[in-house]
Amino acid sequence: MTLLKFLKPKNELEPGGRQSVPITPDENEPSKQCPNCRRLVPESSLWANFNCCPHCGWHFRLSARQRIGFVADPNSFSELFADYRSDDPLGFPGYKKKLELSRRVSGEVEAVVCGAARIKEQPCALFVMEPSFMMGSMGTAVGEKITRLIEYAIEKRLPVVGYTVSGGARMQEGLLSLMQMAKTSAAIRKLGEEKLVYITVLTDPTTGGVTASFAMQGDIIIAEPRATIGFAGPRVIEQTTKRKLPAGFQSAEFLLERGFVDLIVPREKQRQVIGTLLKIHGGAHTDG
Amino acid sequence: MYSKILIANRGEIAVRIIRACKEMGIESVAVYSQADAEALHVALADESYCIGRAEASDSYLNAERIISAALVSGAQAIHPGYGFLSENKDFAALCRKYGIAFIGPPIETMEKLCDKAAVKRAMADAGLTVIPGTGQLESVEAAKREAEKIGYPVMIKSCLGGGGRGIRLVRTEAELEQAFAAAKAEGTAAFGSCSVYMEKYIHPARHIEVQVLADEYGNVACLGERDCSIQQRKQKLVEESPSPAVTDGQRAELFSRVREAIKKVGYHGAGTLEFLYDGKEFYFMEMNIRLQVEHTVTESLTGIDIVKWQIRIAAGVPLSFAQDDVDLRGSSIECRILARQPGKVEFLHVPGGPFVRFDTYLTVGTKITPYYDPLVGKLIVYASSREEALRKIRAALCELVIDGLPNNIEEQLEIVSSEEFSSGKYDLDFFTGGERT
Repeated sequence: MTLLKFLKPKNELEPGGRQSVPITPDENEPSKQCPNCRRLVPESSLWANFNCCPHCGWHFRLSARQRIGFVADPNSFSELFADYRSDDPLGFPGYKKKLELSRRVSGEVEAVVCGAARIKEQPCALFVMEPSFMMGSMGTAVGEKITRLIEYAIEKRLPVVGYTVSGGARMQEGLLSLMQMAKTSAAIRKLGEEKLVYITVLTDPTTGGVTASFAMQGDIIIAEPRATIGFAGPRVIEQTTKRKLPAGFQSAEFLLERGFVDLIVPREKQRQVIGTLLKIHGGAHTDG
Repeated sequence: MYSKILIANRGEIAVRIIRACKEMGIESVAVYSQADAEALHVALADESYCIGRAEASDSYLNAERIISAALVSGAQAIHPGYGFLSENKDFAALCRKYGIAFIGPPIETMEKLCDKAAVKRAMADAGLTVIPGTGQLESVEAAKREAEKIGYPVMIKSCLGGGGRGIRLVRTEAELEQAFAAAKAEGTAAFGSCSVYMEKYIHPARHIEVQVLADEYGNVACLGERDCSIQQRKQKLVEESPSPAVTDGQRAELFSRVREAIKKVGYHGAGTLEFLYDGKEFYFMEMNIRLQVEHTVTESLTGIDIVKWQIRIAAGVPLSFAQDDVDLRGSSIECRILARQPGKVEFLHVPGGPFVRFDTYLTVGTKITPYYDPLVGKLIVYASSREEALRKIRAALCELVIDGLPNNIEEQLEIVSSEEFSSGKYDLDFFTGGERT
């Protein structure tokens, strides 16, 4: 016997009452300091609050797997291109060691995790960058994985959802990593020509070559609250332009005001919002 | 309102709670054991998580895994249903720790109400009559003195007793010495404690319970009483509301005392106060601080959805009705449908028509495993008079067909067709005919 399938009633949530109750942390529980409000936040509170500060709403960084857990439907993610990894094509001093260390620290072999998933029952191709792997820097493997995922999406007629967090192109791979900007951009153009939607979610920080390529090429660009999003760092810009930058420069809110970002969605709502967007845009054309 | 609730239970009650969630626009999260992977509550819920092997100790009683499922799914509240973890204050504390609302009374009240002796004292202080009894008895002589005061017959009970063990009935002083020793010995063997106490033996008696809803702002409403005297080996089989034995005057007085008592102990949520009724006095026995199996009888009578109100109260919504708004007209009867042994439902026909309700988790193909409670469904009817309700329950039972699963439908039909039940003049001796088992 298989599980029965029921339709879901479209009932609005009943109004009134509390929406949640506070956490009561253990004594001596390990805690993290919020980089924004400087308060100590017990781990259990972070855990229960999508890794956001319960006091000021600051979004702590998440690993790629944690994000997948938050955004994808349970057990719906199946990883693709898991064994793609960067080598050391230029013989850059210390790079091999750095790669090895990053792999140990992050538990990932590269700075992006790709796969097929469902978000609120909408099938899609999903890539999520990993901040603890060399700050999500884009090398040849990252570019290749994302390009292949987009090609996979075209083949399977799936929309693409991408979470970016990156310091930019990986300097240890020189021009080869800069070339990934063009390669991914070409793939995204093809995705657009195929009339498949591409949604990006920019998280703190999304900078450099990633901003200049696939992060900002989303048909719909979502950002996490207060995420830093930019190309060059503020100090470099000030030194080059010899002008003082306005307050909040390169924050998600600043970019939303100026039309670079379409939506700011807090982490807890992302799954719902992305699911709805995918549904509105026709979702997948096949079962994927 | 909470937008997502995890249901830490299975079977018909999990289905019942998920239905309430769907009506309220709340997303539901089911948990299930390996034996329940294909269960109806899993299919109905928006999300589901397997939490262990078939044995309840590995799954439905595994507090850590249930909390983990709630955290992973982002549920803001847990409804424990009845049984399993519904009266477990450690589980409620764990929920509080992780910022999950436990849909039940606050932990402080749970702690207060878990100690049966303390509850009795509190309820006596609050104005309810409790069964006359003693504290721990040190010697036979003390027991004799107390028995004289209380008046025979009395019961000697083990302080840690339960499930009918460590209990002796004493009709006369001559029997006391032997019964005292026997209760002590049985208590030691079964519970490792030889301390005993004495209580007046209320007999013949009916089991009457009062359903209450109380919010955190001090509003309390009694949703009528239920007569649960049709019991076999302490297992309730048929419940009805209102009780045919309670007069309007007695009811009004009982409700006003119950409401005062609930306010005094500061309880909030849904709860049930159980009484023994000897035709004259309601003796308070205990309070159930959770949803009860037979809450459905009260729902049918009053039209008030108790599960929805549990959720609302846990979210801090005040009661929208007062005691006077509770309509207790008509009559409602429930028959519990039990599986007699494991099996697989080959065919199922559920009765319908106005005011007939069948709460179940059965569908064609459902396998009943030996791991859990044998309750597979509850058939409830409502009518404007008891006479009509009796006719309706008999007709509905005849229309209920569960093929492939040995069940008690025919026994239930016998009960509701019996002269004793139909007349309303029955008590806890319905099955034993006056002889104590």
